[in-house]
Amino acid sequence: MYNYGEYVSICHSLACLKPKNLSYQNCIEFKLVIDPVQSDMVSREDFFGNTLTYFSIQSPHKTLKVVSESLVEVFRRDFQHSLNNRITYEKTTHLFQNNFELRSELLQYMLPSDFVAWDDDIKAFASSSFDPKQPMYACVEALCRRIFTEFKFDPNHTTVNTPIRTILKEKRGVCQDFSHLAIACFRSMGLAARYVSGYLETMPPPGKPKLQGSDASHAWVSVFIPDFGWYDFDPTNNISPSERHITVAWGRDYADITPLKGIVFSSNIQKLKVEVDVIPINNLPRGKSIL
Amino acid sequence: MLTKKHTNLLSQYQSGISSYDEVLDGQGKVKPHWNSLFEILEKIGVNELATRGEEIARKLRENGVTYNVYDSSGGLNRQWLLDPIPFLITQTEWNDIEKGLIQRATVLDLMLKDLYGPRNLIKDRIIPPELVYGNTGFFRQCCDIKFKSKHQLLVYAADIARGPDGRMWVLDNRTQAPSGSGYALENRSVLSRILPELAQEMYVNRLSPYFFNLQKSIFKLSSNQKDEPYVVYLTPGPHNETYFEHSYLASYLGCALVQGDDLLVRDGFVWLKSIEGLQRVDIIIRRVDDEFIDPLEFRVDSKLGIPGLLQVIRNGNVSVINPPGTSLLENNALMAFINNASKYLIGQDLILPSVATWWCGQAKELDFVLNNLEKLIIKKANRKQKYRSVFGRLLSINEREELKLKIRQSPHEFVAQEEVSLSTVPSFTGVGIEPRFAALRSFLVSDGEGYYVMKGGLTRSSAEKDKFVISGQYGGVSKDTWIVSDKPEDNQDKVVVNNDLLQKRNTVLPSRSAENLYWTGRYAERSLIVSRVINNLINSLNVQHNFGGLPKEDHIEILLKSLTHLTLTYPGFLEEKNCIDKKTRYKELSSLINQITRSGSVVFNVNCFLRAVISVRERWTIGTWRIIDLIENVQTKLKAQKGNIADEQKLLEKLNTRLFTFYGIVNETMTRDNGMLLFEAGKLVERSLALVSQIRSCACFKYDEGVEHEILESVLYNNHSLISYRSKYKSQVKIESFLDMIIFESKLPHSLVNLLDRLSECLDSLPQNSLSNRLNDAQKAILEAVALTKLSDVAELSAHDPKSGEREALENLLAKVCDNIIEVSASISIMYFSHAKSMNSLSGNSDENPLNEI
Repeated sequence: MYNYGEYVSICHSLACLKPKNLSYQNCIEFKLVIDPVQSDMVSREDFFGNTLTYFSIQSPHKTLKVVSESLVEVFRRDFQHSLNNRITYEKTTHLFQNNFELRSELLQYMLPSDFVAWDDDIKAFASSSFDPKQPMYACVEALCRRIFTEFKFDPNHTTVNTPIRTILKEKRGVCQDFSHLAIACFRSMGLAARYVSGYLETMPPPGKPKLQGSDASHAWVSVFIPDFGWYDFDPTNNISPSERHITVAWGRDYADITPLKGIVFSSNIQKLKVEVDVIPINNLPRGKSIL
Repeated sequence: MLTKKHTNLLSQYQSGISSYDEVLDGQGKVKPHWNSLFEILEKIGVNELATRGEEIARKLRENGVTYNVYDSSGGLNRQWLLDPIPFLITQTEWNDIEKGLIQRATVLDLMLKDLYGPRNLIKDRIIPPELVYGNTGFFRQCCDIKFKSKHQLLVYAADIARGPDGRMWVLDNRTQAPSGSGYALENRSVLSRILPELAQEMYVNRLSPYFFNLQKSIFKLSSNQKDEPYVVYLTPGPHNETYFEHSYLASYLGCALVQGDDLLVRDGFVWLKSIEGLQRVDIIIRRVDDEFIDPLEFRVDSKLGIPGLLQVIRNGNVSVINPPGTSLLENNALMAFINNASKYLIGQDLILPSVATWWCGQAKELDFVLNNLEKLIIKKANRKQKYRSVFGRLLSINEREELKLKIRQSPHEFVAQEEVSLSTVPSFTGVGIEPRFAALRSFLVSDGEGYYVMKGGLTRSSAEKDKFVISGQYGGVSKDTWIVSDKPEDNQDKVVVNNDLLQKRNTVLPSRSAENLYWTGRYAERSLIVSRVINNLINSLNVQHNFGGLPKEDHIEILLKSLTHLTLTYPGFLEEKNCIDKKTRYKELSSLINQITRSGSVVFNVNCFLRAVISVRERWTIGTWRIIDLIENVQTKLKAQKGNIADEQKLLEKLNTRLFTFYGIVNETMTRDNGMLLFEAGKLVERSLALVSQIRSCACFKYDEGVEHEILESVLYNNHSLISYRSKYKSQVKIESFLDMIIFESKLPHSLVNLLDRLSECLDSLPQNSLSNRLNDAQKAILEAVALTKLSDVAELSAHDPKSGEREALENLLAKVCDNIIEVSASISIMYFSHAKSMNSLSGNSDENPLNEI
């Protein structure tokens, strides 16, 4: 929800909010409700296969409310496969250097992007987690664990434009910062990594801790492991995403998949709030819309 | 055949040649067409050539041909330089060049489609993936932008030059929004006027068919086939380096020159904000780069683009020339791969080879570059990184090692090119003809079927002998380019403008132009009246000081104070010491003339006038532009003045005459459209405000008869009414007859009722933007002013309070009229001008906003 404090006559917006259909996730229903009602709405698939929705509002309005409701079926992901994968870090980078097909497919996730650039400090930070002889997933987990333990979750410390360097120095931030930092580390080590945005279950199941980032959009990372594929990890909570994570989109970094962006003609924009509720439904009613 | 006479010029030239030269063929003999040209040059003679060269420079300046240089303070306009000697290429040779250019455009177009589509060029290892995924011109949001036209690359420019083997080489590709075609056209137009005899015995191909083909292309692109497409020319604005060309081409092509915030997206279309309402736009010819074109999908901080444009393009409701995303092809490293792409895509080698290029992202190439640095030019693969090309041979050993280190750190970012030698061409130096290095920019446009090459182009030559630097940004001289043959162009008649293109156009006045025209009128008038009043005051002062004026100086003081009121330059002469002392009087007056930073001064006003004029430069005829140039000349001299009042006075007189000439030429040449009405309205608003101010400060108080005579006479004189007054009254100026004349005389073009009536007519003729028959706010305000004035009684207005001396009725009337005119101006602004609110991203100033995702 946005509050402009004055009337705005036109707003053009792009939303990247629709959960993906994946082997471990099925988006059964998706609804985007805009208040005031949009005059134009078009959805398309972007370069990365995410759903982007363009809408514009042409009636004068002082507030903009975007409500996105999705009904998603999430399955437990099978990690055994990744644990069985013994491909080492050394072998992986060798493959990336020499397998042309693999390299050209993954290259855009290996190069710097708008929010992900690295320097020697970041590379030094990363390299201590990458033992050439260790399996890839172990290295990834080791790095993410270090981010989880050495950094403090602090929702009031950083902004969208806080550079990764600063995050590394001050060791504070939120999921977006930790994810960008992790991606920069991976790419600095010659690996392919992408940024994943999505949601987290709001209330923890009995006996489990509430996860950080569950009250807003969440983000985590994904690293490519040869012979396995994209391997997700959530450095903010130090877990492998499974049925408590809902995947909305992926891209090189936040800039590719910003949940909601827009241009309005106004001098004053106040962002009021973002709220996310992820509520488990145990007995999914089949064939009937519940949104 | 060489005659004795021209042996001098040609042989002199030949003796100066130190590299391979355009004039000589492979055997070292003079090529026949250059021979003919030298014969003509010989006839003209060096002295005459110098005169013509000066004429060319003057003409270009008068026509306002400039090339702005970025980073220079104060928006310096660089004078465009044109060599009187053209660059000649024979038709026979040109035919081959043309083939090569067309082939290259075809290959680039296919590359564009492939790289934004299936990317087989990557899969089949023709182009390294780094040059696409690491290319800052590769915009993923453009992958689903496809025009229905055969080509996606609609216009294209290539920089070519002759290599030592006599073949033409391509040095550079320009694919987003190539500049230069307008300069080429203007060069031709000026040269053909000033040196017509140069083309004797030669047939020179025309440039205009290129632009007809552009129009054909535009028509074919239009989604709106029934009506003529509405085309706009999108410029980043007057601060852009090639703004002259934007306005020149917009007016040549007959389309509106607009900036991003003149356009808006609504109901799935792009619209132009005009004073007649919203006008649908079908085609945008853009000079704004990819990353700035739509802040919603590209750079969010762009103020030059149109939010939502990309979606309108995807919907097929607008076409953009060139489509967004074409900057992909401008990557310097791609140069190394175009030949392979050509073999892959069309099974042919390139006819025109590219300058040898090595991309350091490959091991072998990197090695070569590191070992041959001193022979190479090093560039970044991605343009626009503010990285100027480095000439390896100019580096010290240390610098060379430093560069090597940088290249080794991120080799894929670097490109090396062979330091090409260019051919030299005869160039006129002012005293003789010398060889200079030159390169040619040629222009291609898709006509929907194939590519058409401009038969000519923009040649640029180095400014100094033996220097390679020829880019527009860093100096250089341009040359007209002639494709010559010994028989007339045979395809001259083939280009027929589509009949539909001759249909009547919708002409609308963009709100931005409306605003600038209005302010052109206001500032022209303000400059005029202020300079006139000051000039007149200096005369009065001179008389008073030097020729035994009146015993008392009351009238001088009143007039000085009146000037301060008129120019709103308080405290000015209201401060007693400025007003009484002879020296400070002149000092203050001088400051009101030449202080550019002082709001209200003459040069300040003229500056505002020039700024408004330049912002609508596409609307002025060449004749008008010439006067504007003259006004600019006086302005330059005025700004340089240091307080010599006599010199300043002379300049003020010049300024006055030139501003009046400006009015005259505008009046005689400008279309009677809404633009003219707004220009008039601005002029009338300013003139009536100035008149009211002068009457208020000079006549609202009763003075001694002698004083009153002096000041009222001045007001009459300043407002061009003294002669009429004298012919009517033949007496000393008295208040009643003065008011009768200056307020009520409807036949007098500077009387208040005349001004108000004309302003009222203007307002009635402007679009009403409403369906109701009611008067708009501007009309209401002017009606009240006219009624109040006409209903007043001269005797009543002239009466003064015997005790205080105040003429209360007059002051009340004038105060009310003044408010009304200000109201008129405010209403015009609200009704017709675009009130572009600043665009803002929903993420706002992101530094103040917390993260979206936590």
